[in-house]
Amino acid sequence: MSHRPSTRLTWMLLACALLAVAAAWTTPDVPLGAGGAALLVVTFVWRVRRRAPQAVAADPAAASAGATPPARQRVDAPRSGSASRVRRPSSVPRTEQQALIDQMLQQGRYTLLLRRQLVGNLDREQLEHTLELLHEAMAVVPEGNVRMAQPDWDAVPGHQEPAPGRLVHVAPLLLDRYAVTNADYQKFVDAGGYQEMPLWAPEIWPGVLQFVDRTRHPGPRDWTQGAHHPDLADHPVVGVSWYEAAAYARWVGKRLPTDAEWVKAASWPVAVGGVELEQRRYPWGESLDERKANVWSTGAGRTVPVTALPAGSSVNGIVQLIGNVWEWTTGDYGMWHPPSRSIQAPQPLKSLRGGAFDTYLEHQATCDFQSGDSPLARKHNIGFRCAISLCDLALWTAEEACGEQLVALDDARQLEREESLA
Amino acid sequence: MRTRTAMPLDSVRLAQFAVPFPCHICGSENTLAATLCQHCSAPMSIAHQVRETGIAPHVVTVLGSSGAGKTVYLGTLLDMLSRERAPLQLTSRGAYSLSLQQNTMSALARCEFPSKTPSEADCWNWAHCQVRDPADRRPIELLVPDMAGEAMQTEADHPLTFPVIRQLLGRSEGVMVMIDALEAGTGGSSQEFLVMKMLSYLSQLRTDRRRKKPDTRPVALILTKADQCEDCFEDPSGFARRRLPGLWKLCQQHLQNCHYFASGVAGCCAWQVEFGRQRVRVPLRLEPRGIVEPFVWLVRHLQK
Repeated sequence: MSHRPSTRLTWMLLACALLAVAAAWTTPDVPLGAGGAALLVVTFVWRVRRRAPQAVAADPAAASAGATPPARQRVDAPRSGSASRVRRPSSVPRTEQQALIDQMLQQGRYTLLLRRQLVGNLDREQLEHTLELLHEAMAVVPEGNVRMAQPDWDAVPGHQEPAPGRLVHVAPLLLDRYAVTNADYQKFVDAGGYQEMPLWAPEIWPGVLQFVDRTRHPGPRDWTQGAHHPDLADHPVVGVSWYEAAAYARWVGKRLPTDAEWVKAASWPVAVGGVELEQRRYPWGESLDERKANVWSTGAGRTVPVTALPAGSSVNGIVQLIGNVWEWTTGDYGMWHPPSRSIQAPQPLKSLRGGAFDTYLEHQATCDFQSGDSPLARKHNIGFRCAISLCDLALWTAEEACGEQLVALDDARQLEREESLA
Repeated sequence: MRTRTAMPLDSVRLAQFAVPFPCHICGSENTLAATLCQHCSAPMSIAHQVRETGIAPHVVTVLGSSGAGKTVYLGTLLDMLSRERAPLQLTSRGAYSLSLQQNTMSALARCEFPSKTPSEADCWNWAHCQVRDPADRRPIELLVPDMAGEAMQTEADHPLTFPVIRQLLGRSEGVMVMIDALEAGTGGSSQEFLVMKMLSYLSQLRTDRRRKKPDTRPVALILTKADQCEDCFEDPSGFARRRLPGLWKLCQQHLQNCHYFASGVAGCCAWQVEFGRQRVRVPLRLEPRGIVEPFVWLVRHLQK
């Protein structure tokens, strides 16, 4: 990896300053020495001032990460060359910053560390671990078009004809393989996520105090004493409003998927003949199979662990897009309706996708079907999963620093090639 | 020019009218060919079924104001019980019994609520079915009419306007009372008064000898639309005590065997505005909760 121009300039200035000071030391030339010292000071100040806004201002998620003050804590990560990639021996005591990075990794906030502003802080071991976590937890959804179906009220439910719809272009992204679990969300609650106001949309600040559990502690509706039920650690978190889902996503350095992104991941459209999109009704095919999704007819009658029913995964290995819990997206409900038929509600409804364990009608638990609810609704069958745009991650930087081929990165590179060819 | 035609003898035609056939609900005489009772408009197929099987069904009435959710509840209940995974197995007696289920589910599948039940008794849907509890070998025959809320209100205010309602309430062995929890939660009391009127009318119809004894009929008080009023699900009885104090007291005094339930069918509702039409309330998805429980409770009490 090559140094950036600004970094080169800094080093050149520093070298000049040191040369000037050295020359003044050997030949007692006061102006040269003073000039060299001044140059040294200027270089130092300029370097420090350059770094601070880079790490903080560019990314609010990174700013709220607690990983910041990168200006002071930043440690130059190995950038290039085999010599710089030496694994740090475990006997070396970890700095405060490294401990913070480890904590963020434990909290599942790995995507924050892969932001351009922060990726340089990772040593090789941490970088490998981060990329492993990314690969295990998220799957690539390639760039392309998706048809967002309009509800067809006059059609017979369950019909196989492609519904009328609008083509939407989706940029490449990574989507969580699993819905956010109670255990995941517990980390957010324990880390004081409900008190960190920068994570929350300003319009909901007065409402954050209302997001409490049964015992009036901050947390999802059905929790007690700010903790989930011990038996439900790997179940999807439910009883969270759209705002809570968005705040959690921001805390982990991700975001909620858009409506089109969610549908694209689930229905996996393929352009037939380069024009017509062939989209799946369910991630596994065209008909509902109770062994692949937790819906009403499955008979579970409650949520199941997020890793259950792997047979119902999407093409790229995203589990339980259909069934178990409805999932919040950033879209508004009714955005795909024809203008002649609009929806009115006291407040704009947010889009829900995928159906839940108590979804009764088969055609309401499909990739196409959109439901909605108030963004303040905290219901027993609504959860979420997170996404992140590929362009928001410094995957190439990480790959070079790591020096290893990882499948996720290969996928990403492949996507880039396809994009450039297109 | 002569043409040959087959003409039934007048005596044969008259015979159809001459044989009296009593209505199962009101007991008045009808002709054998009648499809609806000419007095109370109940389907005569019920009487035919009863004569063929020799089993008289238990009458279960569903009370509630217009828009309380009686049709949606009944249609969804019938659909849920006719599926494989249900605590009670339900078999419809006759094609007419399926109309309620069909109309309700078709509407809900289109993300609409079924149209309002007309006041005219000849337009009502009736569910005549056999219910089998896996825990009990004896099946039970039930007759559940989907009466219109407006007709009930008229009958309560002006008795004998709808003789069929009077007859049904008089024969009723179990009662399901539907109360809109959403309206009750926002302080509305019109439903509470109507339900109180209906329950008073119900006890009034008991014969004098029976009136001396307390009413032990099972009465399931179902708070509908509870999906939009989550605290109702947590504690239906407490919700009723707080929000429907008059009804609560009436039930405490007059009904020995009543229980409160909460139910919901739609996960979320909104108003749909279509060009050139009135805005209508629509369900955004179907997530039945608390539908089967009241019915199971009622059936187990009827079996005792």
